[in-house]
Amino acid sequence: MDRRDFLKILGGSGAAAALSGCAQPVEKILPYVIPDEDIVPGVATWYATVCRECPAGCGMLVRTREGRAVKVEGNPAHPVNAGALCARGQASLQGLYNPDRIPHPLRRDASGKTHPMSWAEAEALLAERFAALRARGAGDRVAFVGRLETGSLRRLVGEFLAAIGSMQYLTYEPFAYEPLRAANHIAFGRAAIPFYDIEAAEFLLSFDADFLETWISPVAFARAFARFRTVREGTRPGFAYVGPRLNLTAANADAWLPIRPGTEGILALGMIQVILQEKLVPVSGPERDRVWTLVQGYDPPAVAKATDLPAETVQQLARAFVLPRPSLALGGGIAASANNATATLVAINTLNAIVGNLGRTVRFGPNASIAEASPYADLQRLIQAMAQGDVEVLLLHDVNPLFTLPAATGFAEALAKVPLVVSFSSFPDETTMRAHLVLPDHTPLESWGDYAPRAGVAGLVQPTMRPVFASKGLGDVLLAVARQMGGEVAKALPAESFQAYLQEVWRGHHRRLAPTIPFEEFWEAALKRGGVWEEVPDERVRLTLGGIAAVEPEVAGSSEGLTLLTVPSLQHFDGRGANRPWLQELPDPLSQIVWDAWVEIHPETARQRGIGEGDIVRLTSPFGQIELPAHLSAGLRKDVVAVPIGQGHTAFGRYAERRGANPLLLLAPRAEEASGALPRLSVRVALARTGARSLLASPAGSSQQVGEGVARTITLTELNRSEAEPGPRHEAGSLYPAHVHPDHRWGMAIDLNACIGCSACVVACAAENNVPVVGKERVSQGRIMSWIRIERYLEEGPSFPRPRFVPMLCQHCDNAPCESVCPVFATYHNPEGLNAMVYNRCVGTRYCANNCPYKVRRFNWQTYPWPSPLHLQLNPDVSVREMGVMEKCTFCVQRIREAKENAKDEGRGVRDGEITPACAQTCPTSAIVFGDLKDPQSRVVRLARDPRGYHVLGELNTRPAITYLKRVVLGRSPI
Amino acid sequence: MQPLTFRQVDRDILRTMEPPGRLYYGLLALVLAVILWGVYAWWYQIQTGLAVAGLNNPVGWGAYITNFVFWVGIAHSGTLISAILYLFRARWRTAVYRSAEAMTVFAIMTAGLFPLIHLGRPWYFYWLLPYPNQRNLWPNFQSPLLWDVVAIGTYMTVSVTFFFIGLIPDLATARDQATGWRRLFYGILSLGWRGSDREWRHYRSGYLFFAALATPLVVSVHSVVSWDFAMSIVPGWHSTIFAPYFVAGAIHSGLAMVITILLPLRRIFRLEAYLLPRHFENLAKLIIVTGLIVGYAYLVEFFLAWYSGNVYEHAVFLDRATGHYAPEFWIMVTFNAVLPLLFFIRRVRTSPAWLVGISLGITIGMWFERFVIIVASLAHSYIPFSWGLYRPTWVELSITAGSFAWFLFWFLLFAKFLPSVSMTEVKEQIPEEAG
Repeated sequence: MDRRDFLKILGGSGAAAALSGCAQPVEKILPYVIPDEDIVPGVATWYATVCRECPAGCGMLVRTREGRAVKVEGNPAHPVNAGALCARGQASLQGLYNPDRIPHPLRRDASGKTHPMSWAEAEALLAERFAALRARGAGDRVAFVGRLETGSLRRLVGEFLAAIGSMQYLTYEPFAYEPLRAANHIAFGRAAIPFYDIEAAEFLLSFDADFLETWISPVAFARAFARFRTVREGTRPGFAYVGPRLNLTAANADAWLPIRPGTEGILALGMIQVILQEKLVPVSGPERDRVWTLVQGYDPPAVAKATDLPAETVQQLARAFVLPRPSLALGGGIAASANNATATLVAINTLNAIVGNLGRTVRFGPNASIAEASPYADLQRLIQAMAQGDVEVLLLHDVNPLFTLPAATGFAEALAKVPLVVSFSSFPDETTMRAHLVLPDHTPLESWGDYAPRAGVAGLVQPTMRPVFASKGLGDVLLAVARQMGGEVAKALPAESFQAYLQEVWRGHHRRLAPTIPFEEFWEAALKRGGVWEEVPDERVRLTLGGIAAVEPEVAGSSEGLTLLTVPSLQHFDGRGANRPWLQELPDPLSQIVWDAWVEIHPETARQRGIGEGDIVRLTSPFGQIELPAHLSAGLRKDVVAVPIGQGHTAFGRYAERRGANPLLLLAPRAEEASGALPRLSVRVALARTGARSLLASPAGSSQQVGEGVARTITLTELNRSEAEPGPRHEAGSLYPAHVHPDHRWGMAIDLNACIGCSACVVACAAENNVPVVGKERVSQGRIMSWIRIERYLEEGPSFPRPRFVPMLCQHCDNAPCESVCPVFATYHNPEGLNAMVYNRCVGTRYCANNCPYKVRRFNWQTYPWPSPLHLQLNPDVSVREMGVMEKCTFCVQRIREAKENAKDEGRGVRDGEITPACAQTCPTSAIVFGDLKDPQSRVVRLARDPRGYHVLGELNTRPAITYLKRVVLGRSPI
Repeated sequence: MQPLTFRQVDRDILRTMEPPGRLYYGLLALVLAVILWGVYAWWYQIQTGLAVAGLNNPVGWGAYITNFVFWVGIAHSGTLISAILYLFRARWRTAVYRSAEAMTVFAIMTAGLFPLIHLGRPWYFYWLLPYPNQRNLWPNFQSPLLWDVVAIGTYMTVSVTFFFIGLIPDLATARDQATGWRRLFYGILSLGWRGSDREWRHYRSGYLFFAALATPLVVSVHSVVSWDFAMSIVPGWHSTIFAPYFVAGAIHSGLAMVITILLPLRRIFRLEAYLLPRHFENLAKLIIVTGLIVGYAYLVEFFLAWYSGNVYEHAVFLDRATGHYAPEFWIMVTFNAVLPLLFFIRRVRTSPAWLVGISLGITIGMWFERFVIIVASLAHSYIPFSWGLYRPTWVELSITAGSFAWFLFWFLLFAKFLPSVSMTEVKEQIPEEAG
């Protein structure tokens, strides 16, 4: 063989070896032959829309790259959320790209097997069915149950149903706050949910309203709460939380009063009595007498006996509620969901009214639209009709009653009696899996629509990208069906598409708000802005009290049992978030548990029953039983157990199925008479150990701080005493020359007085930075990948531990311990003060992670998958890391680069506030501020000089770029 | 006993190199099987990622680095015995030093594997080496890991050379007695040694120079290894006593390993005439010294933690003695610091059973010492929220077992192919008239 032959063979065999290595199928790369005018490769396009993950309806901006949505952010112009989003909102992308979405219309045969069908077939089938019913005059045997809609879709569905002769349109929201509506009707003559102005309050009292988690509009409330808690003129208002369980909202209160659940109304009446008795407010004449008759008999000792709170507390609360004013009492959660809920809330309304909070902190006018949802009682009537065979076609849109209704309502049995069940859900949830026809709707990020979360705020929903699957919008389906039915029905709905219908509806807004400009201009402006908003004048309301007395709630089940609290979950709301892996892997702020549900038991109660952490316990109510692992927590009363709502799905995709159990199944089906709500405080449960144990995965190590601690607090007195100088920053010398930062040194300030622990930043970071989800087992092995985490510590209190939250991320130390130990310079200090990470250079010694005192570095123990189409969400500006390399927070360096390039293009410097990392951007309380530490005018420098400022582990001379601001505690009882 | 003659020495020692029996092959097969299993585990780990190990956040180093430090430690007494004791003219080392040196070489060969095994991307291991490249990328000379590469590399080079130089006259003796391919083999290895006066003169001075060169390495190598830990800021690692503490510990474990290996060797090869009880007694006495130093270091660590007033140090040492890793900690204290004190009793240090038993105990104890230092400190660092636990998986245990087999494999080859007692030096000690 000569040299040439040798080389030929070598080359040939080498190529063969290389080719045989390509096991993946060949994918074609398609260039933009005719470029889309909206798409500039490498440049993001933003679309304004509305977040439809819960009825709060926050404004949202969607960042798209090369035609696909990659990130959602709050719309800064939106009056509800002003740029912030919660964890659920951030995770809406994983609804859009959920790998378990229904890809096309499905027909289910008698054996339960599904068969794909075309949209034309589906629409023809529906048209034929409706036409037949209409011809028989049986149009009313069609019922529609959908999620809460307020605008065009609500109108369209209504008109469609009317055209075929049905009146049965229900908007079903599991958390619809019916008692609040009913109580406002009784107390003020308005069956509405007013705007609660937390920011304006000087004292806040929450009767179990979890307004920082799920209640009405949590992002808006969190924003207001952060301002409420700001120290002004040496003081800040107090906040007391009354409720049986220490939830995230209670964890942010100055006092938690663990009241006997359901007796909140009695406490409110007792407070009113004290106020009147002690003449704390000038109420006189007939009004006083009327109120007095109401509260007679509710003297502090009697109230103390009923509520299990000391009599002095009742008096102190009453006094604190009166001075300073305006104060604000909120009623929600368990307080607003027993079968005495309406009475309880009337008492709370009265309390607000007599101290003069009406019109100041309780403002009717900008009313929340959640009050428009149908009460549960309507649904009960529908179930009855279904069970009697009076419903021939049931249309379901994005609701999952099989999961959210108690088993005892008989919904499942009634559903079986309906000959044709049509689900317009995008996801294979429990109810959809029982439907005969599945016609997948677009997710909100692919749809046209509008939604008004409260009066005066009309948000526009627009598609941000082409549909991922062969789904079709509900509005368009109804219009197509109407067209096919022809005749009067087609005449009643002449719009050619739902988009056209929507524009037609918005011509109304145009005529009202801006008749002088052309509609197209108005429409485009509204689309860009995300909707239209207008000031809504406050309605003046008075207390118009009928006779109503607070009573103790009726709770079914053996008196030896423990009262069951079913608590809405921060991550999963009513269960609709359970198929988003980001939310599953988001640690519960208090229990820190991921990917699971649990039953929360007081340690003493558990000890008496021989139950330990992780023991699987059977909960039996008169209506059913479930099994869940026990989690012991001193943050709830000894006579209750709590189970988060949201897990326990039997369908709903790979991420949701077979985790935990659904506590709603245990509830009593009877509606509260006064409001028609489903009481969630309705049963006692018996606990029994099953003998099995289960792993509750959590990323948390110890909850006890060491030394001065990571999460620090300062009392008001100390704060006022301290001089307006920053606290000591340990800065010793170094053997090495100091780093030079010629232009910028990026830094951050995190205000722990603002941080509520809601964890929105954690999901935002995962979305922005392609942080993989690792799953329950890996979390329990200590391999969670999150770049930012909310550490939860428990400070021992006299009777219960007080949670403290601190966001922990890479501190970008000037003197970084990780940098000097890396043998290959994979991590280094860049000239702008960033502790940068070169993934390509990392060999994976993990020395940096060992030497990082903050433990914020994350190692890729393996390559993590993004099941298709979840990978479409990956941010193209951020590399996806492979197995064996270290990663960590970059301060969103891609955003820094983008802002710097923009500034350079415009020939200017980077402006303060121009760069916001994903965590800071989404923070509902603006606790995180990012900026240039070299710019003396920047906000971050001002905050870093705050007397509350400190560096975590500053004594190690790491010189972090992040300054934490101590949380301000009152240092005394707020009441 | 008859005084030894030169001829008898040659006969006795070379007899150990005769073709082995069935037991030897059986042992060799077993050891090879375990090595193969370890290789499989490593291959699996490279395929799947380090996820198959028990490592996590916060415990980024576990069994692999424990093994690394353990084997580097084992490597220590070889040079101590051969070089330092040579310089001090401690005659008793003659009989044991060859095996101890072989042990050194094999232990470094074992230790050197672990930095590779523990890498996230082992295929890029060469980035740790300072070699000129077109990208002008150099490793970070600030990083103790790089010092490690240099220190281990130097130690390996010097100890292999030293080992080989000491072997030359013996290899020549073997060559003279051997036939066939063995003759060729030993002939090449003995570099044409003829035993002339000039050769001997050069040999002696060369050996002395290498002894002098190797001596500081005994101290430096494990000091540098200890700086992997001491130079970091992890509570429980960041301590000024680490260098002497680690050196003493290394010698402690090395001596124990020498006894563990030599006693059976003496029995199997019937070398009772060469490896006298006095030799083992002296080793045991040395172990008392190192054991006392190690015990003292344990106390000082706790004292420093308390005296520093540093809350994190308090927390980590309290956790070490009472927390999740308390059993491992108490194994380490008992086996390393308490058990060797029994050597004060003459009857114990002259009894082969006791010697082997206590030495095995020390070997186990010293493995756990490294485990406790590495794992228990990382598991309990500054941020309480990030405290965690580590437990080795089957992959790590398999690779660990494989490393012991790898070490034994080389030792088995050594015992059959090279004279395990230095004939040259034994002969030197035979009184003139007897020879």
